[in-house]
Amino acid sequence: MSTKDSHLSDQELLLAADGELAPGRAAEAASHLAECWTCRVRKGEIEESIRNFVHTYRGNLDPLLPPPAGLRALLKAQIAEMTAEMASAQQGWRAQWSPVATFRYAGAALFVALLGLLVYFRPAFPSRQGLHVVPVSFPEPSLTPGMAAAVSRDQLCRSTHPKNRIVPASLQRRVFEEYGISGAEPRAYEVDYLITPALGGADDIRNLWPQSNSAAVWNARVKDALEDRLHDLVCDGRLDLATAQRDISSDWIAAYKKYFETDEPLK
Amino acid sequence: MFDDDAIPDLAARISSAEGTALKPTPLEEEVVALFDQMQDRLLRYLLSSGVPVHDGEEIVQEVFLALFQHLQRGKSRRNLRAWVFQVAHNLSVKRYLAIRRDRQNLVDLGEAPAEDSFIDRNPNPEDQLASNQSRARLQRVFRALPEQDRRCLSLRAEGLTYREIGKVLDMSLGAVALSLGRSLARFARAEER
Repeated sequence: MSTKDSHLSDQELLLAADGELAPGRAAEAASHLAECWTCRVRKGEIEESIRNFVHTYRGNLDPLLPPPAGLRALLKAQIAEMTAEMASAQQGWRAQWSPVATFRYAGAALFVALLGLLVYFRPAFPSRQGLHVVPVSFPEPSLTPGMAAAVSRDQLCRSTHPKNRIVPASLQRRVFEEYGISGAEPRAYEVDYLITPALGGADDIRNLWPQSNSAAVWNARVKDALEDRLHDLVCDGRLDLATAQRDISSDWIAAYKKYFETDEPLK
Repeated sequence: MFDDDAIPDLAARISSAEGTALKPTPLEEEVVALFDQMQDRLLRYLLSSGVPVHDGEEIVQEVFLALFQHLQRGKSRRNLRAWVFQVAHNLSVKRYLAIRRDRQNLVDLGEAPAEDSFIDRNPNPEDQLASNQSRARLQRVFRALPEQDRRCLSLRAEGLTYREIGKVLDMSLGAVALSLGRSLARFARAEER
């Protein structure tokens, strides 16, 4: 049996460092460590190994972690959906079909449907099995309200700059983070100006959104056509610049329908 | 769930861009709070044991949905920290086996296993300067450890007690202590060389 006078084994030193010794033995070990340089140095070495491991472990893995907000939002949506499903299942089971209950049930179903839509139109989260990319056809107004720079109509119409500037990679990353897009998914999106610089749009995160490359109907090509149309209208003096900016930023699809007088994108 | 104020509230919520959920229940709030505390730790553990990032994210989601159901059914609240690690571990083992099978079938998966990302990740230039040989040595030693020993180390690095590690990996307390001692001894020997 070890006593307070006998040296501690490496195993015991590790247990002591981790606070895992039985209480009686812990007291003996502590009093031995107070007296014994050899054991104290050895314990320090073990702690050094632990420190090195933890630094390497964290240093390698932390940069791989995705931003937490996106995953939290997805979890909340899934829990809400699960709760709503259970509530409606319970209600069905009880078969209490008073008019109020019916109304509530319809409300719950509507909510689940809307939630599904919201989750669907918000960028999805990467899933390896069936990695699917959700088409984003319009920006989230709270994240991308649209921002114009202080540029006059004359400056815009004189400018020969390329229509769309390239968005810096750092800013693109922030846009993806904001929309909760992570992992391999960014490749499926193009960070686009809501108000194009050719219409005075600013290089501001509030003016950028991830437009999905896979949207079948209301895609980037259609929006480009609208941008050209508005630029021409503004420069021909047929449309006020502020109106063009407001229309494209509030609902670009509605603006397309309005300025092309059509309900479908033109071929 | 749908109390009397929920319905009039609904229209307002739907019209607001943020409104993606009804007022969260206390249970939902509790699970989300736990998620905030634990998600990085769980993900790191999963990555260190060879799960790719995307799978890791999915597993963490599954774990917390399972936790929500577990608590909703009024099951035990004892040591939820160990519980979530245990569920994540079990899911990752299942997933890892599936990935391994896929790997055998598919030559090009286009994604390196996270094990490699733990070990071979290119450090950024500053890290590279600071990147001492001892860190590289330590990575090599870690890679060469038996899987069980690596898991023990990672769980300990995530703050689990020996008892919790034993519960997650289904090992005795003594076996956990031996595993950790053995790994640290190997690190120490590598340092001395």
